[in-house]
Amino acid sequence: MTISNSVMVMNRKTMSIVGVAAVIFAVFLVFASGCVSQGEEAETITLAGSTTVLPVAQTVAEIYMDEHATADIQVSGGGSSVGVTAVKEGTADIGMLSRELKDSEKEGSNLEEFVIAKDGIALIAYPSNTVSDLTLAQIKDIYQGKITNWKELGGADMKIVLIGRDSASGTREFFTEFVLKKEDAASTMQEYSSNGAVQQAVAQTPGAIGYVSLEFVDDSVKAFTLSGIAPTVENVINNTYGLNRPLLMITDGEPTGLAKKFLDFILSDEGQNIIAENGFVPVNV
Amino acid sequence: MNTHLMSGWKETGIKSVWLATALIAASAVVFILGYLVLTSLPIFFETGVSGFLFNTVWNPTGVVPSYGIATLLIDTLLVTFGAMIFAVPLGIICAVFLAYLAPQKVRDIVKPAIELLAGIPSVVYGFFGMVVLCSLLQNVLDIPSGFSWLAASILLGIMALPTIVSVSEDALYVVPKDYTEASLGLGATKWQTISRVLIPAAASGISAAVILGMGRAIGETMAVMMVAGNAAVIPSPIWDVLSPVRTLTATLGIELAEVASGSMHYYALFGVAAVLLAITLVINLISVRITKKIQSGGSVFSMPAQIKKILKLCGVIFAVCILMYAIGIVPTLILTAIVFGLFFLRRIMSHRSIERTAFGIIYAGTFLVIGILFVILANIFINGIPAISWEFLTTAPRNMGLEGGIFPAIIGTLQLVGGAILLALPIGIGSAIYLHEYSRDNVATRLLRTGNDLLSGTPSIVFGVFGFAFLVIFLGWGVCMLAGMICLALMVLPTIIKTTEEALRSVPNSLREASLGLGATKWQTLKKVVLPSAAPGILTGTILSIGRAAGETAPIMFTAVVFSKRFISMDLFDPVMALPFHLYVLSTSVPGSETQQYGTAVVLISLVMAIYLVAIVIRKRFQKRLL
Repeated sequence: MTISNSVMVMNRKTMSIVGVAAVIFAVFLVFASGCVSQGEEAETITLAGSTTVLPVAQTVAEIYMDEHATADIQVSGGGSSVGVTAVKEGTADIGMLSRELKDSEKEGSNLEEFVIAKDGIALIAYPSNTVSDLTLAQIKDIYQGKITNWKELGGADMKIVLIGRDSASGTREFFTEFVLKKEDAASTMQEYSSNGAVQQAVAQTPGAIGYVSLEFVDDSVKAFTLSGIAPTVENVINNTYGLNRPLLMITDGEPTGLAKKFLDFILSDEGQNIIAENGFVPVNV
Repeated sequence: MNTHLMSGWKETGIKSVWLATALIAASAVVFILGYLVLTSLPIFFETGVSGFLFNTVWNPTGVVPSYGIATLLIDTLLVTFGAMIFAVPLGIICAVFLAYLAPQKVRDIVKPAIELLAGIPSVVYGFFGMVVLCSLLQNVLDIPSGFSWLAASILLGIMALPTIVSVSEDALYVVPKDYTEASLGLGATKWQTISRVLIPAAASGISAAVILGMGRAIGETMAVMMVAGNAAVIPSPIWDVLSPVRTLTATLGIELAEVASGSMHYYALFGVAAVLLAITLVINLISVRITKKIQSGGSVFSMPAQIKKILKLCGVIFAVCILMYAIGIVPTLILTAIVFGLFFLRRIMSHRSIERTAFGIIYAGTFLVIGILFVILANIFINGIPAISWEFLTTAPRNMGLEGGIFPAIIGTLQLVGGAILLALPIGIGSAIYLHEYSRDNVATRLLRTGNDLLSGTPSIVFGVFGFAFLVIFLGWGVCMLAGMICLALMVLPTIIKTTEEALRSVPNSLREASLGLGATKWQTLKKVVLPSAAPGILTGTILSIGRAAGETAPIMFTAVVFSKRFISMDLFDPVMALPFHLYVLSTSVPGSETQQYGTAVVLISLVMAIYLVAIVIRKRFQKRLL
């Protein structure tokens, strides 16, 4: 409180120190930007949308950028609905979707669709969970709060923790449509905003059940078989695994420039190989 | 004569420049409020005001969409209430320690340490909550999931502590020394003096501190969103602190980026933002009122005894309920018995031993607060330092941030903050100069000041919502650096105005009068006399603003940032990477990136702390020079 009644005088020296600091900061920024972009004209596109598609799009983009030094491809998530909105609003060049475009979204717009891969949705649980097979009907009952304990399914006496996706997720829409038959999930379901977040939450929570894209199945979680069929790339290709869907990229009108080159690259053999390496199902097999 | 006329024109010109900046600041407030409220109107037409506020089902993407925010409101209040139960006693204990018990040397270390606690960015708290607090709760309490009301409340409590401590400490510190002397002279013990005289005398200041802390807790987004589980349910039973909850801010944080603009869901989210804004405005106005009362030296505000009793009772019942749930009924009963036993023991204990117990509790509480700070920082630095390498600091991220580094995020953060300060500084300082040096106290200035007060309590996510709707979508800028700079600038503007005004106020009028009396013009006086004297204060305020802007996530996550970017861009209409957002995405969406998460957290925290330290050092230096 002594400050408020007192005089504080800043001398010229201090002021000049502050000034010099500011100048150094500015020079540093300019230098930093110059040193990375090296004065070359970079061509930039932005991808936004489904967090299911995000990692593979990111990987493909990195490989593409390694081969083309001036290409700058920025990838961000948000969810499938964001992808559509962003492309329509012009805030992104390419939208990523983990579901089909809805009629209401196609209406009055000029969206071009590209199916870049197929994907299965896996139900996952904590690794030590003793239940290993579920039917679609059981999953529906679990997510609607009719089955609340793993012992009802022959497992340990443990409360089931429901983990799901947020409202903009294409994975969630697909799940709601094909598993919950367009009914709402129980309100106790915890919502996470990406596949990675669901996987992480399930891996840390002994009683949890969650749903993620195939590529997010790893050793940290246990994937359920669906009426005896395991969620694998082969089973999605031969259509025996019940929960699968297309992954899309969309553009507003015919793609041009870098956007077109990038889409061509994804659909090329090289691009599709990368997709297969990332646990997705290529479309041109 | 001619020169006189010239300088007259010049004076008027300069004055109008200040006026213009003040008007910009004020119109920004009006515009943001108006835009948010107007955009949210459709939802109120759809559901009606009461349907929106009192319906408990929030399910905007359900088969039959439902837009009721009652659950979100209740969850928000519960989380805030829980945070206050934790933070208020600890905060006051700590403030009492600092104001009356701490030796000067200890005080010199502990006070800045607690202020540093305020400098830790909220996304870092959220990160700490996710990786340490939630798993701790899950293991210790043996519950299915640690993501809960309890986790959110503890975290928010920690975040509200610095505000409560430093504002209460100020209030305690300014209680006149005569009170202490009179009380001690009457034979009261030191503890009796503190508890019966000094704390009641500072009651209004302490309540302002609590209200400010509450405002911070209600407006917090990132930390809550990362640990609360985010299921839109009312805990059942209502005291089930282990239930997941979803607050108003978290709803905005999760759903805003994902909603189709122009849909009813979109308008509903604006409704949520408007309600959030209304709540914080009320809280903020109350705290401003109390602070004004203290400044004007008016009568000390005290609560009627009855209300105090009721509040006390409520608090006790609530605490017992929480305990019952957390540790079971029998231990709770035993604990309650012990507490009551102590309470009755107090009657028969000697004053000396009461004092000893009370001081013991105070020391323990302060120690706990310092301990919390230490644990958080130690955890992050011990795990994070090994992640730092030259490559990590100087290369772009690869493979979802699992490889490579964070260089573009560091530069992006500096760019955003630099731009925000360049925008906010002239406007902020200008309007403070106008308010303090030129305007008289009339309706217009009072309105300007109120506008500024309103802006200063606004939750940071509201700026994000505004920026997203207006700059990104309506103006069609897209996600870009400039939009983020503007949002951050709006956020720090009130701080800059307030600290600048404070600094100007601290320049004695005699200096101004002397300068004017020597024939200097008003502008000359300002430039040569007033501003140089006020400069350290202005600088401190600016640096604190830079620190705050550097750590914020909510205002930029929808407006300015992308997760991954390889090139550094100077184009204002390009998106950038930023450290806080990078940490947020890594910790919520990229499994297996613990090393990178800790590394990013260390860099972010070091950046912000370095900025804060500079501010603290400047303040210290100029304080010393006076003594």
